[in-house]
Amino acid sequence: MENVVELKNVTKRFKGFSVNHINLQVKRGFVTGFIGANGAGKSTTIKTMMNLLRPDAGEVKLFGLDYKTHEKEIKQRIGFVYDGNIFFEGLNLKDIKRIVAPAYKRWDDTIFYQYVEQFELPLNKAIKTFSKGMQMKASLAIALSHQAELIIMDEPTAGLDPIFRRELLDLLQELMVDGNRTIFFSTHITTDLDRIADYIAFIQKGELVFNQSIHDVAENYALVKGELNLLDRDTEKAFVHVHRASTGFEALTDNIKAAKNIFGDTVIIERASLEDIMYYFKGGIHHA
Amino acid sequence: MLNLIKRDVILQKRQLLLFIPFILVFILLGAPPVLIFLVASIFIPFNTYAYDEKVETNILLNSLPYTRTEIIASRYLGAIVYMILSIGVTSLALLAFNKHFTVSDIAIGSGLFLLFAALTFPLFQIFKQGYITTVILISFILLTWISRPIALYMNEHLTTIIDFVDNTSVTVLYTGATFFIMLIYIISWGITHSIYQRKVF
Repeated sequence: MENVVELKNVTKRFKGFSVNHINLQVKRGFVTGFIGANGAGKSTTIKTMMNLLRPDAGEVKLFGLDYKTHEKEIKQRIGFVYDGNIFFEGLNLKDIKRIVAPAYKRWDDTIFYQYVEQFELPLNKAIKTFSKGMQMKASLAIALSHQAELIIMDEPTAGLDPIFRRELLDLLQELMVDGNRTIFFSTHITTDLDRIADYIAFIQKGELVFNQSIHDVAENYALVKGELNLLDRDTEKAFVHVHRASTGFEALTDNIKAAKNIFGDTVIIERASLEDIMYYFKGGIHHA
Repeated sequence: MLNLIKRDVILQKRQLLLFIPFILVFILLGAPPVLIFLVASIFIPFNTYAYDEKVETNILLNSLPYTRTEIIASRYLGAIVYMILSIGVTSLALLAFNKHFTVSDIAIGSGLFLLFAALTFPLFQIFKQGYITTVILISFILLTWISRPIALYMNEHLTTIIDFVDNTSVTVLYTGATFFIMLIYIISWGITHSIYQRKVF
């Protein structure tokens, strides 16, 4: 089985916000980064995967299984890390472990204490006294101690200092040595992804824009820079969005070949970073 | 599911230390045994709810390999388990202080607790977080406060009911009350269950 997560046509509507017809596959054995601006629908999508909310329409499958009939089997195989602290703040890590561990069949105390030592986490201090980074480490230690095949993380790097962010990314990379593991994590710090992601899923205003390998993203998207007089209604069709300035234009294309055919050597074509892509998509998709 | 019930003890370690002195105060004040049994039973399950009304707790529990059905079931069954344990401890405390109590005190105390739990548990799912504990506490105090006048009123005016109760044998009365409370408890469980199923965390 190739896909660990499969969302088919998932739609969920809230007052004033919705995610629409999300079709998303997360491939086994890879790191998929889930990007999008704040409020684009990342958390909603992740909550759908965790069955914290049920979609109005569409199908959600994890490990090829349905939440309706296999909820416990699915969750046995998932490790989760959320943006904020979800553990009882008044408790210390040892007591939290006492509550969480019995829920998992494959919980391994040795692994847990290994991470506690590695992350230098105090066992007898209340979680609420932990810094944001320590809370993240605590969640991570818990998420990694029951041999989860899929690790789902909602903004794990948000609010962390650069050093710990890098440590976290290194750790995730280490975890991936076991080829059976899959990591799916959302972030709006796109530089995290250049380091470790194999696939990038991009959501914008409740709609999935693309889900491609990082290699394909680099091949499909580019920044085009040139003089304003090159732009007209026809040539603009090659672009996702154009940013005009008095000195010239900068635009994002999702069809490098077409852009090359149209403009030839009159423009400069550069690699588009994920941030560039997010920025230009925010302006809206203009062409048909 | 047993884990979910055991969780309450871990969560409330510190509050449990308060449990004994809390009961002792009631005993020393000479409160009626029925009231002591009722208050003792309420202690753990309602403390748990004070924790569980938080969104984070629900995110945690629902991300762990538990189903929503189990989470609600653990609350309803847990309430009964902790009620029995609390009654045990309270009985011992009463015995230790040489306070007289009867089996019917226990029966009425636990019956009232189950009724109170059945009526309030679904409210936890409906009311906004942060308010519900206060709402329940105030309603509990009000209920105990107004129950006396109501009983007096019934004594005076509803002689027919009193006659009926008087004329019914104790066994029938108790069995009837047990069934009635069980029914209410099960209906309450069903309601909470169906609300919880549809929740978004």
